[in-house]
Amino acid sequence: MFSYNLQLAIKSLKDRPSLTLLMVAAIAIGLGLYMTVLTMATLSENVPLSYKSKNLYLIQLDNREVDAQEVDLQARMIDFTYKDTMNLMALDTSAKAQTFAWSTLGILNVEDQNIHPLRSRLAATTNDFFTMFDTPFLYGGYWSKEEDQNGASVIVLSKATNEYLFGGIDSVGKQLRIDIRVVTVVGVLDYWYLSQKFYDRSYSAARPDQAFLPSSFAFESDLPRNARFDCWSTETNSRQFRNSNLEQLQNSECAWITYWAEIEGESNLEDYKSTVNQYIESQKAFGRFPREVAKMNDYYTNINDQISYENGRNGMITYLAIVAYMFFAVCLVNAVSILLAKFMRRSKEVSLRRALGAKKWVIMYQHLLEVIIIGFMGGVVGVIVTYFGLQGMMRISLYSSDYTIMARDLLPYYQLNWAMIATAFLVAICSTIIVALYPIWRICNVSPASQLKAQ
Amino acid sequence: MEIRPILLSLKHNKAIAILIIIQVALTLGVLSMSILMTMGTLKEWNLPSGIPHENIISVEPEFYDNSIDVRQSVIDDIERIKQLDGVIDITPVSEKPFAPQQVVSVYLESDEEAQAFQTNIFDSNVAGPRVLDLKLISGRFFTENEVLFGSANELKQPTSVVMISEQMAEALFNDGPAVGKTLWLEKGAKPASIIGVYSNFMNSEQLNRQGQSYRTVLRPQVTWANNVDPNYLIRVEPGLAPSMLDTISNVFYKTPGRYLNRVEVLTRTQKRMYDGRGSRALIFLVISAVLVLITAFGMSGLVSFLVTQRKKQIGTRRALGASKWHVVRYFLLENAIVTFIGLVIGMLISLFLVLDITQNSGTDFLEVGYIFATAFFLLVVNLVAVYLPARRAANIAPAIVTRSA
Repeated sequence: MFSYNLQLAIKSLKDRPSLTLLMVAAIAIGLGLYMTVLTMATLSENVPLSYKSKNLYLIQLDNREVDAQEVDLQARMIDFTYKDTMNLMALDTSAKAQTFAWSTLGILNVEDQNIHPLRSRLAATTNDFFTMFDTPFLYGGYWSKEEDQNGASVIVLSKATNEYLFGGIDSVGKQLRIDIRVVTVVGVLDYWYLSQKFYDRSYSAARPDQAFLPSSFAFESDLPRNARFDCWSTETNSRQFRNSNLEQLQNSECAWITYWAEIEGESNLEDYKSTVNQYIESQKAFGRFPREVAKMNDYYTNINDQISYENGRNGMITYLAIVAYMFFAVCLVNAVSILLAKFMRRSKEVSLRRALGAKKWVIMYQHLLEVIIIGFMGGVVGVIVTYFGLQGMMRISLYSSDYTIMARDLLPYYQLNWAMIATAFLVAICSTIIVALYPIWRICNVSPASQLKAQ
Repeated sequence: MEIRPILLSLKHNKAIAILIIIQVALTLGVLSMSILMTMGTLKEWNLPSGIPHENIISVEPEFYDNSIDVRQSVIDDIERIKQLDGVIDITPVSEKPFAPQQVVSVYLESDEEAQAFQTNIFDSNVAGPRVLDLKLISGRFFTENEVLFGSANELKQPTSVVMISEQMAEALFNDGPAVGKTLWLEKGAKPASIIGVYSNFMNSEQLNRQGQSYRTVLRPQVTWANNVDPNYLIRVEPGLAPSMLDTISNVFYKTPGRYLNRVEVLTRTQKRMYDGRGSRALIFLVISAVLVLITAFGMSGLVSFLVTQRKKQIGTRRALGASKWHVVRYFLLENAIVTFIGLVIGMLISLFLVLDITQNSGTDFLEVGYIFATAFFLLVVNLVAVYLPARRAANIAPAIVTRSA
């Protein structure tokens, strides 16, 4: 039965190849665009470090004035002041590790005059950063706790930076300069892909930091602070802190440092919260933290929660998604009419078969088989279209960044994976079956012998 | 006309009619949304720049070694670049066309409530107008000794003279004369007198969006501060610009302790101004084009199916004396009626989507004219798609009636 129906189905496909082709093309192109957008959305919404992201908490402290506006979203809450950062780092807590990070800029240069200097995005942080966020090392390693305390002039380079400055060799122990300050390389990262750069709360894609250095050293060298300062009480012109008045900044109530803790398990989290609350209470004696402590418990957010908030906000993909869904819908409607045309041409043949005793379900079976084959072919071509669609989108994205983003950093956001390919086939076959429901219903209801009388 | 029989036959063939209506409606929705967004974003695409930007190279150097004497390096840079073959002139500038950092306000009066006029201020030396190839509309260009030269700390007094662009003059004084008037570049600061009006050149994306693409002020001043070093604009002989980028960047790198942010021809700066909008528009247009093709093919396929199905009826009509044109007309009319209904629904969808996006993004895309034009275009495409199979129908011989049945 199966092989007979399969034969009939294939025969019917070959019968009017242009209609078959048109239908496969309609499904493939619609599916291609749909999957392109879906892949882009899925990949850009990946949770970085997903295997431990639920234990990595961003901590925010509300040191604002009593009459400051209520914050309705965690994302709008301010970060840490320098004072609280230092105090909390010194406390003994139930966290497995704690770190903090802030962004800075510098021009990296080496003695060799043939290698032009490199303006770099730098992250100033502590040594626990590397263990908490599991950075992969190609050469060397991270700096030590002592070096953090001493403000040692050390640096960890990204793979791309090492390639640019040192031609990709093991550069551990070599010296380079940030502007005019000499630093020594202690480690080189391997390619480190984060779908979104969460640790500085920029959630940016494809623009990784080019080097990492101890925060203590960055403060001693007065490197520029590339941050937004949320200042309270006295301070008015906070932009000045980007390049000047470091000491004033360190004593101010300006929040600008992102603070992270790795906390395992609920009970540890509760302990951690109570430690922090105690700290806040103790600071109240100095007239700080005028607001109620009770409200603060919402500002322990792990990476999962942050990312799911950020993901709703990609405007371009949202527009594209609307267009892609409608596009797919048009293609499917198109397929319905083609299929209808294709099936109804066979009314005579079907009514003859019915007259000779074929049951309705047999007719249905045969046509369903035909539709599944079409869906499968649409899936194959659709995956190819998706591949080229993603390539095209990547080119456009490179173009619109004016080639300031490296293709390699962008590639992970436009890569087809097996899960996506499987989804594509599933969507193709399911949608063709849905599309075929009405045409099949029509053809099954052709009454026996009704079409024969004219002949 | 055979409108009544068409409606009757449509009633009989509801499924196909509904499918066509849905398809046309959705297509119009996608297409008009794409076109509206494209038009909205590309409004300023074709504005002339007013300068020979393909012959101008911009350089953005930055000293990371603060011990370097910037004054001497500016003099050296100008000297060295001028010696290169193919260089016509060079000027240090604070901002560059297409990409100024800051929109500022200028005033015609000194009091607190004075009306603010948005603009971009470009600092340059006496070579500035030559590098940008600006034409003098009235007044005069500034002279060598009017140009202030020094670090921000050294310059105690602001410039006493400025030049403004034609559009700026228009904005400030309507049609009245501008030369000799006074302009406050800052509230409460010493004003400057306008000595000349020059031909328009393009400013920034921000002002571009507000239809103020040519509002500029030219100030004779070369200054620098910590971490803010003068940029340069260099005009070269036509056609040489792309090949001179390396030579020029090597000259600048001769001074140690310096980093070059960008060395590029201004065409690239201009391109960057439209990048985001341009690529978005491109994506939507490509999608729309494919969609129209698919709809057209689908329609064509459907009609050719109808033709096959109605062979006998067509033959009968022909035998009863209908001309070939009558047959084609029947199909065209049938399709036009169905398409029209689809287009009306599609317009409603488009309006809904556009209003929704307008509310979310705050930019007003809606231009009803474009939606009508798109609808008309779709109608034409559909009629062409129908015409081809319908012509085949017209060729059915009347004699077919006599056969078999």
